[in-house]
Amino acid sequence: MPDEVPAVRLTSITKRFPGVVANRDIDLTINKGEVHALCGENGAGKSTLMKILYGMQKPDEGTIEIDGQEVSFKTPADAIARGIGMVHQHFKLADNLTVLENVILGAEPKRRGRIDFDAAREKIREMSAAYGLRVDPDVLVETLGVGDRQRVEILKVLYRGAKVLILDEPTAVLVPQEVDELFGNLRELKAEGLTVLFISHKLDEVLSVADAISVIRRGTSVATCLDPREITSRRLAELMVGSELPTPELRESTVTEDVQLDVAKLTVLTPEGRPVVDDVSLRIRRGEIVGLAGVEGNGQSELIEALMGIRSADTGTITYGGDDITHWPTRKRREAGIAYIPEDRHRHGLVLEGALWENRMLGHQTQRPNVRGPWIDRGGARRDTTRIVQAYDVRTPGIDVPAAALSGGNQQKLIVGREMSGEPRLLIAAHPTRGIDVGAQAAIWEYLRQARAAGLAVLLISADLEELIGMSDTLHVILRGRLVARVDPGTVTPEELGSAMTGAGSDAGAADE
Amino acid sequence: MRRGLKISLVTLTGAALTLSASACGGKKAETGGGGDDKKTLKVGLAFDIGGRGDQSFNDSAAAGLDRVKKDLNIQTEEISAKPDEPDADKESRLRLLATKGYNPIIGVGFAYTNSINKVAKAFPNTKFLVVDADQCKVEGTNVLGACFSEEQGSFLVGAAAALKSKTGTIGFIGGVNVPLIHKFQAGYEAGAKAAKPGIKVLPAKYLTEPPNFDGFKNPALGTEAAKGQLDKNADVIYHAAGGAGIGVINTVGAAKKLAIGVDSDQYNLPAVAPVKEQILTSMVKRVDLSVFDFVESVSKGTFQAGTKKYDLSNDGVGYATSGGKVDDIKAKLDQFKADIVSGKIKVPTK
Amino acid sequence: MSEPQETPKTAPAPAGGGSPEHVPAWQAILRGLGPRGWALRLGAPVLALVISLVITMILLRVTGADPVSSIQSMIDYGTTDSSIVDILNRATRYYLSAVAVAIGFRMALLNIGVDGQYRLAAFLAAALGGALTLPAPFGQMLVIVAAMLIGGLWAAIAGILKVTRGVSEVLSTIMLNAIATGVIAYLLNDKRLAEVRPGSNNVATAQIPESGRVGPFNGALNSIFSGPVLWVILVAGAAAIVYLSYRKQVAAGEPGKSPVAGLVLGVIGAAVFVAVTALVVGPILTDLPGEVYGLLPMAVVVGIVFWVVINFTRFGFDLKVSGLSPTAAQASGVSAKRMVVITMIASGAVAGLIGMPELLGASYEYSLNFPAGLGFTGITVALLGRNHPFGIALAALLFAFLDQTSDVLQEVDVPKEIVGVMQGVVVLTVVIVYELVRRWEIRLQQRTVAAELATGHDLAKGAA
Repeated sequence: MPDEVPAVRLTSITKRFPGVVANRDIDLTINKGEVHALCGENGAGKSTLMKILYGMQKPDEGTIEIDGQEVSFKTPADAIARGIGMVHQHFKLADNLTVLENVILGAEPKRRGRIDFDAAREKIREMSAAYGLRVDPDVLVETLGVGDRQRVEILKVLYRGAKVLILDEPTAVLVPQEVDELFGNLRELKAEGLTVLFISHKLDEVLSVADAISVIRRGTSVATCLDPREITSRRLAELMVGSELPTPELRESTVTEDVQLDVAKLTVLTPEGRPVVDDVSLRIRRGEIVGLAGVEGNGQSELIEALMGIRSADTGTITYGGDDITHWPTRKRREAGIAYIPEDRHRHGLVLEGALWENRMLGHQTQRPNVRGPWIDRGGARRDTTRIVQAYDVRTPGIDVPAAALSGGNQQKLIVGREMSGEPRLLIAAHPTRGIDVGAQAAIWEYLRQARAAGLAVLLISADLEELIGMSDTLHVILRGRLVARVDPGTVTPEELGSAMTGAGSDAGAADE
Repeated sequence: MRRGLKISLVTLTGAALTLSASACGGKKAETGGGGDDKKTLKVGLAFDIGGRGDQSFNDSAAAGLDRVKKDLNIQTEEISAKPDEPDADKESRLRLLATKGYNPIIGVGFAYTNSINKVAKAFPNTKFLVVDADQCKVEGTNVLGACFSEEQGSFLVGAAAALKSKTGTIGFIGGVNVPLIHKFQAGYEAGAKAAKPGIKVLPAKYLTEPPNFDGFKNPALGTEAAKGQLDKNADVIYHAAGGAGIGVINTVGAAKKLAIGVDSDQYNLPAVAPVKEQILTSMVKRVDLSVFDFVESVSKGTFQAGTKKYDLSNDGVGYATSGGKVDDIKAKLDQFKADIVSGKIKVPTK
Repeated sequence: MSEPQETPKTAPAPAGGGSPEHVPAWQAILRGLGPRGWALRLGAPVLALVISLVITMILLRVTGADPVSSIQSMIDYGTTDSSIVDILNRATRYYLSAVAVAIGFRMALLNIGVDGQYRLAAFLAAALGGALTLPAPFGQMLVIVAAMLIGGLWAAIAGILKVTRGVSEVLSTIMLNAIATGVIAYLLNDKRLAEVRPGSNNVATAQIPESGRVGPFNGALNSIFSGPVLWVILVAGAAAIVYLSYRKQVAAGEPGKSPVAGLVLGVIGAAVFVAVTALVVGPILTDLPGEVYGLLPMAVVVGIVFWVVINFTRFGFDLKVSGLSPTAAQASGVSAKRMVVITMIASGAVAGLIGMPELLGASYEYSLNFPAGLGFTGITVALLGRNHPFGIALAALLFAFLDQTSDVLQEVDVPKEIVGVMQGVVVLTVVIVYELVRRWEIRLQQRTVAAELATGHDLAKGAA
């Protein structure tokens, strides 16, 4: 194969992009019919590179060649026309349309001015069979699971005639079993002569599926076209981060007998009356980190919001250090020492336009040192922001810059620092290390360990199973709003946990409560 | 010091502007000018909201002004009012005209009464007219107030409506619910009852409530209201709704019923030409006459301060006969007119 | 959230640890005046105004008028003494209205009902003031408090509907405007709360008695801007500016602030203040003919209270955060419902004040001639003033100037509608320019942050 013209060749791509890591002089060659993995840390510049290839952004320098021809994409439509398709990390599907309708949306086959559904259905059936993408074209997308939705996305791209598929972190939303299925699909696609560019930072996956691996770090390519058979995951990790990966782990147990949070038979209903959190009972003791594993969308967000008072509990009680706080408003809970690291830091954790010191006050705007009576204590808030910036290593030139000017990791460190101040007694941490660099990740783990040792009770929610297993004293599995299993983080493997999360093998290492 | 400073500021900005676009030609603004230029008159007229083109009250004043220009060959200037402005704005508008050397100055509409009373004191050499002077009272030796007995004219068209109605039901549509329009309504109803005691006058419909003055402007509102009254079996409808009345006339005309116009003789109004044969008559309020009389008196030096009443006795109000629709009842109407002039009939104003 | 940001970054002199890099004061001043500081804050509106002036002049040219002489005559007329009085009074009304709107805007609450709120408040307060005779300060206070209460209550209806029934405040306030119009029309009747003088075409509430009125402000202005009072103001103001500027630079003992730069900036600011006050504002505001609203200072107080509340109180912080990110506000413990109701009430209470200067200082009655539609002007003025108390003041003055001088345009045969077009152009240009500048500023900040971090200017490291 390598003797042929490569499917895609990027040469000296440079993209200057304010504030975040730019692409600097990146070379990348992808041969026809291979699964090529592009690895790198979050923020290393993978997404930017792919946006350039997909025509969403223009490179400042460098050239793109498709099948040996130099091209210049102004919009994704240009890229699609040249046979490039992209499957985004976040699906872009219309829930209330069928698979068929979603696939042809925007590229409808017409016959005598009307949409020719039969032809489309036939074509989709053919493609499903050819590539092993089993999806019934006539079901509504809203009834599909995550894995199926992803297949619909792939079908959508193939339907438009893509020869090169870009998959942006396709496994981030999948449980291990679904990942295996996806990889099966990728191999079939390859067998049919398609080229796959696979973006990931999960080393095992990369090693198991890729034919060639390229690594970028800090916006530049550090290794291209590595052979997965000749490289170890350790070496790959070192290439990615420039040093070895930290691992999440807890040392000796600090769990005490004091129950800080006692959730009893908590149920939260949707406006339609369907339970999204269903009869959940949970205890967190001081000095304990309780992990909650589950595929996204199984009630974690609603549970957290109910605990924070953002959403009201329909039945059940929440007891916090002896007080029944079920009907307390959010502010009273916060004042009582419940800290909150929200899962979406841009929407819930920060006011992006606000200066750092104003963001430091957020969630603590009734507490010292931020306020004195009804008045804002600017001096106090600013001094304490400086303290957090220094103690939590928030990389910023000052505390007057808006939060939007900081990188994601530094934003997250600011949030963690803020939530850790004021001696909280319970921390609800949702995805505390999502999307941040390795250094910051290790630092945040360390803060959690320290706070735990100081007697903090923590509810940890994460999509990173290693983090969950490594950082939890107790680990629950949530499925469709119910706690279905309690596993021992000391013995469980990510695969077993993944099975439990999909409800497949709840006996694997699990012990019902 | 402050005079000097201001002047220098103005000169500075002016110079900058001139420099930036000195190539532009066009009309030059005339500035300044004394207040007592006795030889040539320049008439300044400040409109009420609506301004020229309202098809009604303001247009009537404009017609007077146009006649002044033509017949007396006098230079004129007009300025419109803004909706929802306080008295202070009217004062400053009048003051602007006075300082620019306009004399005489006319304020159209009762809202100008207070402002003219105040401003006139500061410009004793300038003559002022208030059309529709409020309470028919003005102050100062250089102010004339023109007031109109709209209720008298309305009485006559009310009588005409009652006499011409076949269904025995007639209607009234007022523009905005203000006391001025109540006068029209009161006269109309009294006239109808006097001509035909058994007549049914539908409850008056007002298009809008103040401060929403759309009821004098928006024909769509008139159309709606007219439909409503037609549905209630009215076959003659009188509108006192300014521009909105165009909608009334067109709707009533399209239904082959009779409409009564207001302020000017609306039979000749281009906007209602297709249905003009359905216009029974119009209640004529000679605002144009008051404007012309005033300017003429100033130019001839016969100006007299105080108030001047325009009513049936001096034909300051009346009814139009264009189209000949009221020819057969003219005798009756003229009898009513004579009775009102002689004081035999007292027309209510509210 | 850009309220008086601390004076921007200056010298990057790490306090401890690293070698203290000395940056000369002049450089710090330049940086302070640099892109992230005053230049953008002042430059953006100036740029917008220049652009809109150019557009306006082109429009004037297109309509066949001479743009230079038209604008010249506007300036001539707008700077006459009697115009200045009218402009001040007009700006007072616009200002209060815009602040009322801005309070809602600050938390992304669109109170379109300011118009109905102030009219209803002014009307009922006028009826109350006309019916009672109280000794001097009590009558005025009663009327003002009543107006605030009525405005607040009327606005509260929309707030309560929003939090209990999810009714958009835009819709409910528009409808409440119509209802207010109806209520006033019903009550403004000689059988109810109003009286009609015989033969009059007007209908009005009873006149507020002499003792309940507020006299003109001219006398106070004359004494403020002359003699010893002026000297006190000049000295105190200059000293305060120097001190505040100095303190900002050394605030909280953060590294990277140069006290010398603060002093120099302060002195420059003080000099400008003294010059403008003594040489421009003072002469313009003394010996004015006509009557400046006696309640003009009330508008100033409202502006100051608004500024203090927004920037220095917990409530203001909650309000700002709710506006910038409702989701983050909720997660931080702000009760959205409570904020909506309180904000609507506050907005309505300020709306209640809009009619007070006119009512107590000029008309003494609510009649058909009472100025209406100010609530809508307020929306534009608030937009133009970027919801900032000081910006709104400038915007109100600009709009007042344009409205005041629209009459003179007719005198030179330019349709007065061109002023409406001008105002539209100004607002559009300002909004667009601000948005562009804001985006550019964020990008610039991100770049600066990256650059400063790359060159080792890192607060986190500074202490390490």
